Amino acid sequence: MLLLALWVVQAAAAEPEIGGELRLQADALAANDAGPLAAANALTPGLAPIADAGVRAEAQLRGAWHPAATRPWLSALSADVLLATERREGQATVNDSRINELHAASDFGAWQFTLGKRIVGWDVGYGFRPNDVVQQERRRTLLPQTPEGRPVLQVEHFGAEQAATLVWVNPQHAGDPDDEQRGASENALAARWYLRYGAADAYLFGRWGEHTRASVGAALAVVATDELELHVSARALQRHDGWRIDDDADLAPVASNPWTQATLGGTSQWLIGASWTGQQQQSLLCEYWYDGTALGDKQWDDWQRRNGALTAFGATPGLPTGLVRATAANLAWQATPFDTPSLRRDNLFVRLAWQPDHWLLSADVLVTPADRGRIVTLGAQWQGDRVRLNAAWRAYGGPSDALVAQLPQRRVGVLQASWSF
Amino acid sequence: MTRPLPQTLAALGTALAATLAHAATDDAAALLQAADRYRTGADNLQVETQVSVLNRDGTPDKERRYTVFVQAQHKSLVLMRSPAEAGQKVLMLGDDFWLLMPGSQRPLRITPTQKLLGDASTGDIATMSWADDYTGRVVGDEPCGADPEPVCRHLSLQAARKGVTYQRIELWLGKARHEPVRADLYVQSDKLAKQARFVFDKPALPTMVTEMVLLDQLSNHKETRVRYLSRQGKAVPEAWLNPMFLARNPALD
Repeated sequence: MLLLALWVVQAAAAEPEIGGELRLQADALAANDAGPLAAANALTPGLAPIADAGVRAEAQLRGAWHPAATRPWLSALSADVLLATERREGQATVNDSRINELHAASDFGAWQFTLGKRIVGWDVGYGFRPNDVVQQERRRTLLPQTPEGRPVLQVEHFGAEQAATLVWVNPQHAGDPDDEQRGASENALAARWYLRYGAADAYLFGRWGEHTRASVGAALAVVATDELELHVSARALQRHDGWRIDDDADLAPVASNPWTQATLGGTSQWLIGASWTGQQQQSLLCEYWYDGTALGDKQWDDWQRRNGALTAFGATPGLPTGLVRATAANLAWQATPFDTPSLRRDNLFVRLAWQPDHWLLSADVLVTPADRGRIVTLGAQWQGDRVRLNAAWRAYGGPSDALVAQLPQRRVGVLQASWSF
Repeated sequence: MTRPLPQTLAALGTALAATLAHAATDDAAALLQAADRYRTGADNLQVETQVSVLNRDGTPDKERRYTVFVQAQHKSLVLMRSPAEAGQKVLMLGDDFWLLMPGSQRPLRITPTQKLLGDASTGDIATMSWADDYTGRVVGDEPCGADPEPVCRHLSLQAARKGVTYQRIELWLGKARHEPVRADLYVQSDKLAKQARFVFDKPALPTMVTEMVLLDQLSNHKETRVRYLSRQGKAVPEAWLNPMFLARNPALD
């Protein structure tokens, strides 16, 4: 597909815009000695190893070509390709290359059309975006990352103060079984309507997923003063994809991972936030959000109870080796629901940043009030004309029964050097 | 009923002062329009701009390239062209501002203060008209610099709308041709933020500003040179000035 696109470009292009970035990255991780994965490894050492260091090399190439203006049906071809290789301690080198974007655009003035793989980012929040219903970008990564775009067919109309967008995302999954199109991979139609009203941006969102059905949302961003911006976003879902544990899995070990992604019932998500920027180039961001797609408090209580029961069972004197190993595997599977945008439904996020000259220094904390878990992140960036250096460090903590304090990692650090061209 | 002479004289004096003040304001507006012609030359422009920042010792600190679409009615679109910032865009519609970071493809509302970030703020690059944004009064004739000659006309400008980068500007224009010579730029708190001087294509008979040199007075005291590499008349399509259009990548000619 890429070669075909390049051939088309060669045939039609006029003065392509090409750029990119080379990156080298090293990270280190301190494994947690608490939590289900640590308990699994304690019962059966090496069952679920955590690589505690890794290196990664990336080349990101971007290009845009604009064929003759007389062809509005093909006004631009754009590509963003990531070539990446990663090696983690004790593991083989992995090729992690991908095409982030590859799309063709048509320009009929106020009407614009796009076909291909594209990043379509929506919504107004920083730490959480309920209405980012197309891209569903992973938030609060240690370092900024370009996400992998989604296959889309997109129609947009732009006026002076309004814009309307209709996106068919993941059409290639139409008719696939539900388990082959979960989350951001679901075949769906999504729409956004935008209105600029003075110092406010207002949005309405709608989405129809093949198995999650309807969801509707709204968002508002307002510049209240020269320094203060306020934003709010909310979404109601008819159904959603989320983690569910098999009814058979109680407190005893089972033969396979009882945690699966399933189509669950209706829920809601919302976020409220404010950002303040001072004249000394310092900023403060505060956000509070509710994510109804996360497991509820009772489900996490059951999860804790199952962890405790499995750990106690695995420590039973004289337990056959096979049963010990099965119990350890069950404990390792208990880490499955950690793979989620929000661990707890209620979250508070605060970020401080200061941007003196070439530097960007930041500190943020995510708190889950339900169990007083916290994730603290420190970051530093230096930006030159072409070279950028990044360092970031994250620590996970809280009371011993906090979910954050039971994640597989306790601390993570990363260093990255980038060269732009 | 006749008015006593002192009251009549006082009323006449007040009226005369008001007339003179009005005339001075009119004069300032005309002077600003004349000065603007050295910086713009048209209502709708595409300006290729190079920004070089120098350390206090004169060594180069950083360099950036921008394509700026300056449009009528306080509308500007700034495209960052340097490798370090490629893909970033800032849209300014009057007092409202948006930023697009290339990785997210998500236009983001920003505050006027966020727009100020950086050595040459986006406002320095994208704002090229004083007449539309400021009301002024003529302070008088003063030396342009340390030397008593040549003499400049000193104008004091106050922001006429809240979205401008500088709340107050003290501006010195050439007395004969009204070309901008230098300016003191004050932020909202009335602190002197930057001092500007202007470089022309033909020093003896200036027709166009080719460079604006900004000396930071607030923090790092670095020198920023905003060089206008080219200017050409260009009115962009209305859709380009819609904040949601920032995520698109149209041909720039």
